[in-house]
Amino acid sequence: MNHNQQPGDGTHEDDAALSDFLASLMDYTPTIPDELVEHYLAKSGFQCPDVRLIRLVAVATQKFVAEVATDALQCNLECNYKVLKERHKGSSRSWQCKARQAAVVKDKRDKQQKDKRLILTMEDLSRALREHGVNVKHQEYFADSPSTGMDPASRDE
Amino acid sequence: MSDGGRESEREPEKPARQKRAGGDELARAAARLAVAQISESQGFQTFQHSALETLSDVAVRYIYEIGKTANFYANLSGRTECNVFDIIQGLEDLGLVQGFLGASDIEHCLANSGTVKELVQYVDEAEKIPFAYSLPQFPVAKDRKLTPSFLQIGEEPPGEHIPAWLPAFPDPSTYAPSSSRIERSIEPPTSKIDQESHNRKVERSLLNLHQRLACSGLEGPSLVNHGDATKAKQAVGSNPFLAAPLQFGEKEVSPVLLPAKVKLLNEAIMRNPSMENHGRDNHISVLEALAPDIEAMESRLLDSEEKEKKVLLNSRPAVQFKIGIGRKSLGTMQDLSLQKKSFEVTSPWFGRENEKDDKKMRAEKILKESMGHTQELGHL
Repeated sequence: MNHNQQPGDGTHEDDAALSDFLASLMDYTPTIPDELVEHYLAKSGFQCPDVRLIRLVAVATQKFVAEVATDALQCNLECNYKVLKERHKGSSRSWQCKARQAAVVKDKRDKQQKDKRLILTMEDLSRALREHGVNVKHQEYFADSPSTGMDPASRDE
Repeated sequence: MSDGGRESEREPEKPARQKRAGGDELARAAARLAVAQISESQGFQTFQHSALETLSDVAVRYIYEIGKTANFYANLSGRTECNVFDIIQGLEDLGLVQGFLGASDIEHCLANSGTVKELVQYVDEAEKIPFAYSLPQFPVAKDRKLTPSFLQIGEEPPGEHIPAWLPAFPDPSTYAPSSSRIERSIEPPTSKIDQESHNRKVERSLLNLHQRLACSGLEGPSLVNHGDATKAKQAVGSNPFLAAPLQFGEKEVSPVLLPAKVKLLNEAIMRNPSMENHGRDNHISVLEALAPDIEAMESRLLDSEEKEKKVLLNSRPAVQFKIGIGRKSLGTMQDLSLQKKSFEVTSPWFGRENEKDDKKMRAEKILKESMGHTQELGHL
Protein backbone atom coordinates (compact mmCIF):
# COMPACT_ATOMS: atom_id res chain seq x y z
CA MET A 1 0.00 0.00 0.00
CA ASN A 2 1.17 3.48 -0.75
CA HIS A 3 0.71 4.76 2.70
CA ASN A 4 3.89 2.94 3.68
CA GLN A 5 5.79 5.33 1.44
CA GLN A 6 4.12 8.34 2.93
CA PRO A 7 5.99 10.13 5.67
CA GLY A 8 5.31 8.56 8.98
CA ASP A 9 3.95 11.82 10.35
CA GLY A 10 1.13 11.84 7.84
CA THR A 11 -0.21 8.50 8.87
CA HIS A 12 0.21 9.33 12.48
CA GLU A 13 -1.75 12.48 11.97
CA ASP A 14 -4.53 10.69 10.27
CA ASP A 15 -4.64 8.09 12.94
CA ALA A 16 -4.53 10.73 15.59
CA ALA A 17 -7.35 12.60 13.95
CA LEU A 18 -9.38 9.46 13.79
CA SER A 19 -8.79 8.53 17.36
CA ASP A 20 -9.62 12.06 18.42
CA PHE A 21 -12.78 11.88 16.51
CA LEU A 22 -13.73 8.62 18.10
CA ALA A 23 -13.02 10.08 21.50
CA SER A 24 -15.18 13.07 20.74
CA LEU A 25 -17.98 10.73 19.83
CA MET A 26 -18.25 9.72 23.42
CA ASP A 27 -19.30 13.26 24.24
CA TYR A 28 -21.72 13.52 21.41
CA THR A 29 -24.88 11.54 22.04
CA PRO A 30 -26.40 10.44 18.78
CA THR A 31 -30.14 10.59 18.43
CA ILE A 32 -30.27 6.92 17.58
CA PRO A 33 -29.78 5.10 20.88
CA ASP A 34 -26.88 2.75 21.35
CA GLU A 35 -29.07 -0.19 22.29
CA LEU A 36 -30.96 0.02 19.04
CA VAL A 37 -27.80 0.15 16.97
CA GLU A 38 -26.28 -2.69 18.94
CA HIS A 39 -29.37 -4.80 18.36
CA TYR A 40 -29.30 -4.44 14.62
CA LEU A 41 -25.55 -4.76 14.36
CA ALA A 42 -25.74 -7.96 16.37
CA LYS A 43 -28.38 -9.20 13.96
CA SER A 44 -26.06 -8.62 11.04
CA GLY A 45 -23.15 -10.41 12.63
CA PHE A 46 -21.15 -7.41 13.64
CA GLN A 47 -19.07 -8.21 16.66
CA CYS A 48 -17.25 -5.56 18.57
CA PRO A 49 -17.20 -4.71 22.23
CA ASP A 50 -16.01 -1.16 21.59
CA VAL A 51 -18.66 1.43 22.32
CA ARG A 52 -17.01 4.04 20.16
CA LEU A 53 -17.66 1.99 17.06
CA ILE A 54 -21.30 1.68 17.97
CA ARG A 55 -21.44 5.42 18.28
CA LEU A 56 -19.70 5.77 14.95
CA VAL A 57 -22.34 3.67 13.26
CA ALA A 58 -25.08 5.59 15.05
CA VAL A 59 -23.68 8.89 13.91
CA ALA A 60 -23.31 7.65 10.36
CA THR A 61 -26.92 6.53 10.30
CA GLN A 62 -28.08 9.77 11.80
CA LYS A 63 -26.21 11.66 9.12
CA PHE A 64 -27.80 9.51 6.45
CA VAL A 65 -31.31 10.06 7.76
CA ALA A 66 -30.68 13.75 8.13
CA GLU A 67 -29.52 13.95 4.55
CA VAL A 68 -32.57 12.16 3.29
CA ALA A 69 -34.84 14.37 5.36
CA THR A 70 -33.12 17.46 4.05
CA ASP A 71 -33.52 16.32 0.49
CA ALA A 72 -37.16 15.58 1.06
CA LEU A 73 -37.62 19.00 2.58
CA GLN A 74 -35.91 20.56 -0.37
CA CYS A 75 -38.19 18.74 -2.71
CA ASN A 76 -41.21 19.83 -0.73
CA LEU A 77 -40.16 23.45 -0.69
CA GLU A 78 -39.27 23.34 -4.35
CA CYS A 79 -42.64 22.09 -5.32
CA ASN A 80 -44.41 24.54 -3.11
CA TYR A 81 -42.34 27.32 -4.45
CA LYS A 82 -43.06 26.27 -7.96
CA VAL A 83 -46.73 26.00 -7.27
CA LEU A 84 -46.84 29.46 -5.85
CA LYS A 85 -44.82 30.78 -8.70
CA GLU A 86 -47.14 29.22 -11.18
CA ARG A 87 -50.13 30.62 -9.42
CA HIS A 88 -48.70 34.07 -9.60
CA LYS A 89 -47.57 33.90 -13.14
CA GLY A 90 -50.48 31.95 -14.44
CA SER A 91 -48.33 30.29 -17.06
CA SER A 92 -48.13 26.60 -17.67
CA ARG A 93 -44.51 25.66 -17.65
CA SER A 94 -43.41 22.13 -17.31
CA TRP A 95 -42.07 21.84 -13.84
CA GLN A 96 -39.94 19.12 -12.50
CA CYS A 97 -42.51 17.92 -10.10
CA LYS A 98 -45.04 16.78 -12.62
CA ALA A 99 -46.80 14.72 -10.02
CA ARG A 100 -48.18 17.85 -8.53
CA GLN A 101 -49.41 19.51 -11.66
CA ALA A 102 -52.73 17.81 -11.63
CA ALA A 103 -53.28 18.79 -8.06
CA VAL A 104 -52.24 22.36 -8.49
CA VAL A 105 -55.56 23.71 -9.62
CA LYS A 106 -57.63 21.98 -7.00
CA ASP A 107 -55.52 22.29 -3.96
CA LYS A 108 -54.07 25.72 -4.07
CA ARG A 109 -55.91 26.78 -1.02
CA ASP A 110 -55.08 23.62 0.84
CA LYS A 111 -51.44 24.10 0.10
CA GLN A 112 -51.59 27.63 1.35
CA GLN A 113 -53.01 26.51 4.63
CA LYS A 114 -50.67 23.62 4.99
CA ASP A 115 -47.59 25.51 4.08
CA LYS A 116 -47.26 26.43 7.68
CA ARG A 117 -46.74 22.79 8.58
CA LEU A 118 -44.21 20.82 6.65
CA ILE A 119 -45.28 17.29 6.04
CA LEU A 120 -42.96 14.45 5.17
CA THR A 121 -44.83 12.80 2.38
CA MET A 122 -44.15 9.60 0.56
CA GLU A 123 -43.61 11.41 -2.67
CA ASP A 124 -40.88 13.63 -1.35
CA LEU A 125 -39.35 10.74 0.47
CA SER A 126 -39.26 8.46 -2.53
CA ARG A 127 -37.62 11.13 -4.61
CA ALA A 128 -35.06 11.87 -1.95
CA LEU A 129 -34.31 8.21 -1.43
CA ARG A 130 -33.93 7.61 -5.12
CA GLU A 131 -30.91 9.86 -5.11
CA HIS A 132 -29.42 7.80 -2.35
CA GLY A 133 -29.93 4.61 -4.26
CA VAL A 134 -33.06 3.36 -2.50
CA ASN A 135 -36.00 2.74 -4.75
CA VAL A 136 -39.25 3.22 -2.93
CA LYS A 137 -42.52 2.97 -4.68
CA HIS A 138 -45.70 3.31 -2.72
CA GLN A 139 -49.28 2.62 -3.61
CA GLU A 140 -51.21 5.55 -4.85
CA TYR A 141 -54.29 4.39 -3.07
CA PHE A 142 -55.85 1.33 -1.53
CA ALA A 143 -59.39 0.75 -2.65
CA ASP A 144 -60.85 0.08 0.73
CA SER A 145 -61.85 3.47 2.04
CA PRO A 146 -64.14 6.25 0.92
CA SER A 147 -61.25 8.55 0.13
CA THR A 148 -59.94 6.18 -2.49
CA GLY A 149 -58.54 7.75 -5.59
CA MET A 150 -58.25 11.20 -4.13
CA ASP A 151 -55.06 13.10 -4.55
CA PRO A 152 -52.64 11.68 -2.01
CA ALA A 153 -51.12 15.06 -1.25
CA SER A 154 -54.42 16.49 -0.19
CA ARG A 155 -55.24 14.01 2.50
CA ASP A 156 -53.42 13.39 5.69
CA GLU A 157 -53.25 9.76 6.68
CA MET B 1 -38.64 17.10 23.68
CA SER B 2 -41.99 16.24 22.39
CA ASP B 3 -42.41 14.00 19.49
CA GLY B 4 -45.55 15.85 18.95
CA GLY B 5 -45.05 16.19 15.29
CA ARG B 6 -47.44 13.31 15.10
CA GLU B 7 -50.92 13.98 13.98
CA SER B 8 -54.08 11.94 13.65
CA GLU B 9 -54.96 8.84 15.57
CA ARG B 10 -53.12 5.68 15.16
CA GLU B 11 -55.52 3.44 17.07
CA PRO B 12 -57.32 1.97 14.07
CA GLU B 13 -54.02 1.16 12.48
CA LYS B 14 -52.41 -0.32 15.53
CA PRO B 15 -53.88 -3.85 15.41
CA ALA B 16 -52.98 -4.21 11.77
CA ARG B 17 -49.52 -2.96 12.49
CA GLN B 18 -49.05 -5.40 15.31
CA LYS B 19 -50.01 -8.27 13.10
CA ARG B 20 -47.55 -7.24 10.43
CA ALA B 21 -44.60 -6.57 12.67
CA GLY B 22 -42.19 -9.33 13.42
CA GLY B 23 -40.36 -10.08 16.58
CA ASP B 24 -38.51 -6.79 16.90
CA GLU B 25 -41.49 -4.56 17.42
CA LEU B 26 -39.71 -2.64 20.10
CA ALA B 27 -36.68 -1.98 17.93
CA ARG B 28 -38.84 -0.77 15.08
CA ALA B 29 -40.79 1.53 17.33
CA ALA B 30 -37.60 2.97 18.72
CA ALA B 31 -36.24 3.45 15.21
CA ARG B 32 -39.42 5.22 14.20
CA LEU B 33 -39.07 7.53 17.15
CA ALA B 34 -35.42 8.30 16.46
CA VAL B 35 -36.07 8.99 12.80
CA ALA B 36 -38.95 11.27 13.67
CA GLN B 37 -36.72 13.23 15.98
CA ILE B 38 -34.05 13.59 13.34
CA SER B 39 -36.54 14.69 10.72
CA GLU B 40 -38.02 17.15 13.13
CA SER B 41 -34.63 18.70 13.67
CA GLN B 42 -34.38 19.15 9.92
CA GLY B 43 -37.60 21.10 9.81
CA PHE B 44 -40.46 18.69 9.33
CA GLN B 45 -43.33 19.13 11.71
CA THR B 46 -45.62 16.34 10.67
CA PHE B 47 -45.19 13.03 8.98
CA GLN B 48 -47.27 10.70 6.94
CA HIS B 49 -47.39 7.36 8.68
CA SER B 50 -46.24 5.44 5.67
CA ALA B 51 -43.45 7.90 5.02
CA LEU B 52 -42.23 7.62 8.59
CA GLU B 53 -42.36 3.85 8.49
CA THR B 54 -40.50 3.78 5.23
CA LEU B 55 -37.78 6.07 6.44
CA SER B 56 -37.34 4.21 9.69
CA ASP B 57 -37.18 0.95 7.79
CA VAL B 58 -34.52 2.41 5.51
CA ALA B 59 -32.53 3.64 8.52
CA VAL B 60 -32.69 0.19 10.10
CA ARG B 61 -31.52 -1.36 6.89
CA TYR B 62 -28.69 1.13 6.72
CA ILE B 63 -27.48 0.06 10.14
CA TYR B 64 -27.85 -3.54 9.10
CA GLU B 65 -25.89 -2.95 5.91
CA ILE B 66 -23.05 -1.22 7.70
CA GLY B 67 -22.84 -4.12 10.10
CA LYS B 68 -22.94 -6.69 7.37
CA THR B 69 -20.32 -4.96 5.27
CA ALA B 70 -18.04 -4.36 8.24
CA ASN B 71 -18.33 -7.99 9.22
CA PHE B 72 -17.58 -9.00 5.67
CA TYR B 73 -14.42 -6.95 5.57
CA ALA B 74 -13.31 -8.27 8.93
CA ASN B 75 -13.81 -11.84 7.77
CA LEU B 76 -11.96 -11.02 4.60
CA SER B 77 -8.99 -9.97 6.68
CA GLY B 78 -9.21 -13.12 8.70
CA ARG B 79 -10.73 -11.60 11.80
CA THR B 80 -13.98 -12.21 13.60
CA GLU B 81 -14.16 -8.91 15.43
CA CYS B 82 -14.62 -5.74 13.45
CA ASN B 83 -12.52 -2.66 13.92
CA VAL B 84 -12.87 0.94 12.88
CA PHE B 85 -11.35 0.40 9.47
CA ASP B 86 -13.92 -2.23 8.62
CA ILE B 87 -16.63 0.23 9.44
CA ILE B 88 -15.05 2.97 7.42
CA GLN B 89 -14.79 0.67 4.47
CA GLY B 90 -18.42 -0.25 4.93
CA LEU B 91 -19.38 3.39 4.99
CA GLU B 92 -17.42 3.98 1.84
CA ASP B 93 -19.22 1.18 0.10
CA LEU B 94 -22.57 2.56 1.07
CA GLY B 95 -21.57 6.09 0.28
CA LEU B 96 -20.47 5.35 -3.22
CA VAL B 97 -23.97 6.03 -4.46
CA GLN B 98 -23.93 9.60 -3.34
CA GLY B 99 -20.22 9.99 -3.64
CA PHE B 100 -17.71 11.46 -1.27
CA LEU B 101 -14.44 13.25 -1.47
CA GLY B 102 -11.66 10.97 -2.51
CA ALA B 103 -13.86 8.14 -3.67
CA SER B 104 -11.92 7.73 -6.83
CA ASP B 105 -8.54 7.42 -5.14
CA ILE B 106 -7.27 3.94 -5.73
CA GLU B 107 -5.03 3.70 -2.74
CA HIS B 108 -5.75 5.87 0.16
CA CYS B 109 -5.53 5.54 3.84
CA LEU B 110 -8.83 4.74 5.40
CA ALA B 111 -8.16 7.02 8.30
CA ASN B 112 -8.49 10.11 6.15
CA SER B 113 -11.26 8.82 4.03
CA GLY B 114 -13.79 11.25 2.72
CA THR B 115 -16.59 9.64 4.65
CA VAL B 116 -14.82 10.14 7.93
CA LYS B 117 -14.23 13.75 7.16
CA GLU B 118 -17.85 14.25 6.32
CA LEU B 119 -18.80 12.62 9.56
CA VAL B 120 -16.49 14.85 11.50
CA GLN B 121 -18.05 17.81 9.80
CA TYR B 122 -21.51 16.62 10.62
CA VAL B 123 -20.72 16.05 14.27
CA ASP B 124 -19.27 19.51 14.54
CA GLU B 125 -22.18 21.23 12.90
CA ALA B 126 -25.24 19.30 13.92
CA GLU B 127 -27.00 19.99 17.15
CA LYS B 128 -27.24 17.30 19.72
CA ILE B 129 -30.61 15.72 19.96
CA PRO B 130 -30.75 13.00 22.56
CA PHE B 131 -33.20 10.19 22.16
CA ALA B 132 -36.52 10.90 23.83
CA TYR B 133 -36.68 7.74 25.90
CA SER B 134 -34.17 5.58 27.64
CA LEU B 135 -34.06 2.18 26.08
CA PRO B 136 -33.12 -0.83 28.14
CA GLN B 137 -30.75 -3.44 26.82
CA PHE B 138 -32.67 -5.69 24.49
CA PRO B 139 -33.35 -8.41 23.66
CA VAL B 140 -33.32 -9.51 27.25
CA ALA B 141 -31.52 -12.79 27.70
CA LYS B 142 -33.54 -15.07 29.92
CA ASP B 143 -31.58 -16.94 32.52
CA ARG B 144 -31.91 -20.59 31.88
CA LYS B 145 -33.06 -22.51 34.87
CA LEU B 146 -30.75 -25.47 34.82
CA THR B 147 -31.81 -28.71 36.36
CA PRO B 148 -29.89 -29.11 39.60
CA SER B 149 -27.29 -31.79 39.80
CA PHE B 150 -27.31 -34.71 42.18
CA LEU B 151 -24.86 -32.86 44.36
CA GLN B 152 -27.01 -29.78 44.52
CA ILE B 153 -30.09 -31.76 45.44
CA GLY B 154 -28.25 -33.91 47.89
CA GLU B 155 -29.39 -37.12 46.30
CA GLU B 156 -27.36 -40.18 45.72
CA PRO B 157 -27.21 -41.03 42.04
CA PRO B 158 -29.03 -44.31 41.42
CA GLY B 159 -26.03 -46.20 40.21
CA GLU B 160 -22.32 -46.20 40.62
CA HIS B 161 -21.73 -45.38 37.01
CA ILE B 162 -23.52 -42.02 37.33
CA PRO B 163 -21.32 -39.22 38.64
CA ALA B 164 -22.88 -36.91 41.15
CA TRP B 165 -22.21 -33.71 39.24
CA LEU B 166 -24.62 -34.66 36.47
CA PRO B 167 -28.15 -33.22 36.50
CA ALA B 168 -30.55 -35.19 38.62
CA PHE B 169 -33.12 -37.50 37.10
CA PRO B 170 -36.63 -36.09 36.79
CA ASP B 171 -39.38 -37.08 39.19
CA PRO B 172 -40.63 -40.59 38.40
CA SER B 173 -44.17 -39.31 38.38
CA THR B 174 -43.38 -37.18 35.36
CA TYR B 175 -42.59 -40.11 33.14
CA ALA B 176 -44.38 -43.06 34.79
CA PRO B 177 -47.18 -44.66 32.71
CA SER B 178 -50.77 -43.69 33.30
CA SER B 179 -51.61 -46.72 35.45
CA SER B 180 -49.75 -45.11 38.27
CA ARG B 181 -51.19 -41.69 38.70
CA ILE B 182 -49.78 -39.08 40.99
CA GLU B 183 -47.70 -41.13 43.36
CA ARG B 184 -46.71 -38.30 45.59
CA SER B 185 -49.55 -35.87 45.76
CA ILE B 186 -49.13 -32.34 46.93
CA GLU B 187 -51.99 -32.48 49.44
CA PRO B 188 -51.56 -35.16 52.10
CA PRO B 189 -55.30 -35.84 52.60
CA THR B 190 -55.80 -36.99 49.04
CA SER B 191 -52.79 -39.29 48.94
CA LYS B 192 -54.75 -42.13 50.47
CA ILE B 193 -57.53 -41.62 47.98
CA ASP B 194 -55.04 -41.57 45.15
CA GLN B 195 -53.65 -44.85 46.33
CA GLU B 196 -57.09 -46.34 46.35
CA SER B 197 -57.91 -45.09 42.93
CA HIS B 198 -54.63 -46.53 41.80
CA ASN B 199 -55.64 -49.87 43.25
CA ARG B 200 -58.93 -49.60 41.50
CA LYS B 201 -57.25 -49.07 38.20
CA VAL B 202 -54.96 -52.02 38.74
CA GLU B 203 -57.93 -54.16 39.51
CA ARG B 204 -59.67 -52.98 36.42
CA SER B 205 -56.75 -53.86 34.22
CA LEU B 206 -56.57 -57.27 35.85
CA LEU B 207 -60.22 -57.76 35.15
CA ASN B 208 -59.67 -56.89 31.51
CA LEU B 209 -57.11 -59.61 31.36
CA HIS B 210 -59.56 -62.04 32.86
CA GLN B 211 -62.17 -61.04 30.38
CA ARG B 212 -59.83 -61.60 27.54
CA LEU B 213 -58.99 -65.07 28.64
CA ALA B 214 -62.38 -66.27 29.82
CA CYS B 215 -64.75 -64.64 27.33
CA SER B 216 -67.14 -62.57 29.39
CA GLY B 217 -69.98 -63.41 31.70
CA LEU B 218 -68.55 -66.71 32.84
CA GLU B 219 -66.48 -65.10 35.52
CA GLY B 220 -68.18 -62.82 37.91
CA PRO B 221 -67.32 -59.17 37.63
CA SER B 222 -67.07 -58.98 41.39
CA LEU B 223 -63.48 -57.81 41.22
CA VAL B 224 -64.52 -54.50 39.89
CA ASN B 225 -67.21 -53.68 42.33
CA HIS B 226 -65.92 -54.53 45.72
CA GLY B 227 -63.50 -51.75 46.24
CA ASP B 228 -65.35 -49.06 44.43
CA ALA B 229 -68.33 -48.43 46.60
CA THR B 230 -66.54 -47.52 49.80
CA LYS B 231 -63.55 -45.76 48.36
CA ALA B 232 -65.48 -43.98 45.78
CA LYS B 233 -67.58 -42.24 48.36
CA GLN B 234 -64.50 -40.72 49.90
CA ALA B 235 -63.06 -39.71 46.61
CA VAL B 236 -66.15 -38.13 45.20
CA GLY B 237 -66.28 -35.42 47.77
CA SER B 238 -62.77 -34.20 47.12
CA ASN B 239 -62.01 -34.72 43.47
CA PRO B 240 -64.40 -35.47 40.62
CA PHE B 241 -61.67 -37.33 38.77
CA LEU B 242 -61.34 -39.77 41.61
CA ALA B 243 -65.01 -40.64 41.70
CA ALA B 244 -66.09 -44.21 41.11
CA PRO B 245 -66.66 -45.19 37.53
CA LEU B 246 -70.23 -45.21 36.35
CA GLN B 247 -72.13 -48.41 35.93
CA PHE B 248 -73.28 -49.40 32.54
CA GLY B 249 -76.44 -47.60 31.63
CA GLU B 250 -75.99 -44.78 34.12
CA LYS B 251 -74.67 -42.50 31.47
CA GLU B 252 -75.35 -42.47 27.80
CA VAL B 253 -72.20 -42.98 25.86
CA SER B 254 -71.77 -43.17 22.15
CA PRO B 255 -70.70 -46.61 21.02
CA VAL B 256 -67.29 -47.11 19.55
CA LEU B 257 -66.95 -47.51 15.80
CA LEU B 258 -64.86 -50.51 14.97
CA PRO B 259 -63.44 -51.86 11.73
CA ALA B 260 -65.41 -54.68 10.18
CA LYS B 261 -63.44 -57.75 11.21
CA VAL B 262 -62.99 -56.72 14.77
CA LYS B 263 -66.58 -55.67 15.06
CA LEU B 264 -68.01 -59.09 14.29
CA LEU B 265 -66.06 -60.74 17.03
CA ASN B 266 -66.63 -57.96 19.46
CA GLU B 267 -70.29 -58.20 19.00
CA ALA B 268 -70.06 -61.90 19.54
CA ILE B 269 -68.33 -61.20 22.81
CA MET B 270 -70.64 -58.47 23.92
CA ARG B 271 -73.83 -60.10 22.97
CA ASN B 272 -74.29 -61.07 26.55
CA PRO B 273 -74.85 -57.76 28.28
CA SER B 274 -76.31 -55.70 25.48
CA MET B 275 -79.18 -58.03 24.78
CA GLU B 276 -81.79 -57.13 27.28
CA ASN B 277 -84.64 -57.04 24.86
CA HIS B 278 -83.91 -60.02 22.73
CA GLY B 279 -83.46 -63.49 24.02
CA ARG B 280 -80.96 -66.00 22.88
CA ASP B 281 -80.58 -69.46 24.06
CA ASN B 282 -77.35 -70.66 22.78
CA HIS B 283 -75.05 -67.73 23.19
CA ILE B 284 -72.70 -69.65 25.39
CA SER B 285 -72.25 -72.34 22.85
CA VAL B 286 -71.67 -69.80 20.14
CA LEU B 287 -69.11 -68.03 22.22
CA GLU B 288 -67.36 -71.21 23.11
CA ALA B 289 -67.21 -72.12 19.49
CA LEU B 290 -65.75 -68.80 18.65
CA ALA B 291 -63.37 -68.75 21.63
CA PRO B 292 -60.20 -69.65 19.73
CA ASP B 293 -60.98 -67.04 17.13
CA ILE B 294 -61.68 -64.52 19.79
CA GLU B 295 -58.36 -65.10 21.42
CA ALA B 296 -56.65 -64.62 18.13
CA MET B 297 -58.52 -61.42 17.50
CA GLU B 298 -57.94 -60.08 20.96
CA SER B 299 -54.32 -59.53 20.23
CA ARG B 300 -55.40 -57.06 17.61
CA LEU B 301 -57.74 -55.23 19.85
CA LEU B 302 -55.84 -52.20 20.87
CA ASP B 303 -58.68 -49.96 21.75
CA SER B 304 -58.57 -49.54 25.48
CA GLU B 305 -61.85 -47.81 25.48
CA GLU B 306 -63.33 -50.95 24.12
CA LYS B 307 -61.97 -52.90 27.04
CA GLU B 308 -63.32 -50.39 29.43
CA LYS B 309 -66.66 -50.73 27.84
CA LYS B 310 -66.49 -54.45 28.11
CA VAL B 311 -65.80 -54.08 31.77
CA LEU B 312 -68.74 -51.82 32.22
CA LEU B 313 -70.98 -54.01 30.14
CA ASN B 314 -69.92 -57.16 31.86
CA SER B 315 -70.63 -55.83 35.29
CA ARG B 316 -74.25 -56.91 34.82
CA PRO B 317 -75.38 -60.41 35.61
CA ALA B 318 -75.45 -62.91 32.80
CA VAL B 319 -78.63 -62.95 30.73
CA GLN B 320 -80.09 -65.97 29.11
CA PHE B 321 -81.29 -65.53 25.59
CA LYS B 322 -83.95 -67.37 23.71
CA ILE B 323 -84.61 -67.50 20.05
CA GLY B 324 -88.13 -66.31 19.45
CA ILE B 325 -88.92 -67.14 15.86
CA GLY B 326 -92.46 -65.95 15.91
CA ARG B 327 -91.59 -62.45 17.05
CA LYS B 328 -92.25 -59.51 14.87
CA SER B 329 -88.96 -57.91 15.67
CA LEU B 330 -87.08 -60.97 14.62
CA GLY B 331 -89.06 -61.08 11.46
CA THR B 332 -87.80 -57.64 10.67
CA MET B 333 -84.38 -58.72 11.74
CA GLN B 334 -84.46 -61.46 9.22
CA ASP B 335 -85.30 -59.00 6.53
CA LEU B 336 -82.45 -56.88 7.57
CA SER B 337 -80.14 -59.83 7.64
CA LEU B 338 -81.13 -60.70 4.09
CA GLN B 339 -80.59 -57.16 2.98
CA LYS B 340 -77.36 -56.60 4.69
CA LYS B 341 -75.59 -59.84 4.15
CA SER B 342 -73.65 -58.53 1.27
CA PHE B 343 -73.11 -55.10 2.73
CA GLU B 344 -70.23 -53.87 4.72
CA VAL B 345 -70.91 -54.23 8.37
CA THR B 346 -69.98 -50.68 9.04
CA SER B 347 -72.22 -49.13 6.43
CA PRO B 348 -75.23 -48.35 8.63
CA TRP B 349 -73.00 -46.53 11.02
CA PHE B 350 -72.15 -43.76 8.69
CA GLY B 351 -74.07 -40.62 9.12
CA ARG B 352 -75.89 -41.72 12.22
CA GLU B 353 -75.89 -39.08 14.86
CA ASN B 354 -78.47 -40.48 17.25
CA GLU B 355 -77.14 -42.74 19.98
CA LYS B 356 -80.40 -44.57 20.45
CA ASP B 357 -80.51 -45.46 16.82
CA ASP B 358 -76.99 -46.69 17.08
CA LYS B 359 -77.85 -48.99 19.92
CA LYS B 360 -80.84 -50.33 18.10
CA MET B 361 -78.88 -50.94 14.96
CA ARG B 362 -76.20 -52.62 16.94
CA ALA B 363 -78.74 -54.86 18.55
CA GLU B 364 -80.25 -55.73 15.22
CA LYS B 365 -76.88 -56.48 13.75
CA ILE B 366 -75.91 -58.73 16.58
CA LEU B 367 -79.16 -60.56 16.27
CA LYS B 368 -78.66 -61.02 12.59
CA GLU B 369 -75.14 -62.30 13.02
CA SER B 370 -76.01 -64.71 15.71
CA MET B 371 -78.80 -65.88 13.50
CA GLY B 372 -76.23 -66.40 10.81
CA HIS B 373 -73.89 -68.15 13.20
CA THR B 374 -76.52 -70.45 14.56
CA GLN B 375 -77.39 -71.41 11.07
CA GLU B 376 -73.77 -72.15 10.36
CA LEU B 377 -73.41 -74.16 13.51
CA GLY B 378 -76.52 -75.97 12.64
CA HIS B 379 -74.82 -77.17 9.54
CA LEU B 380 -71.90 -78.57 11.52
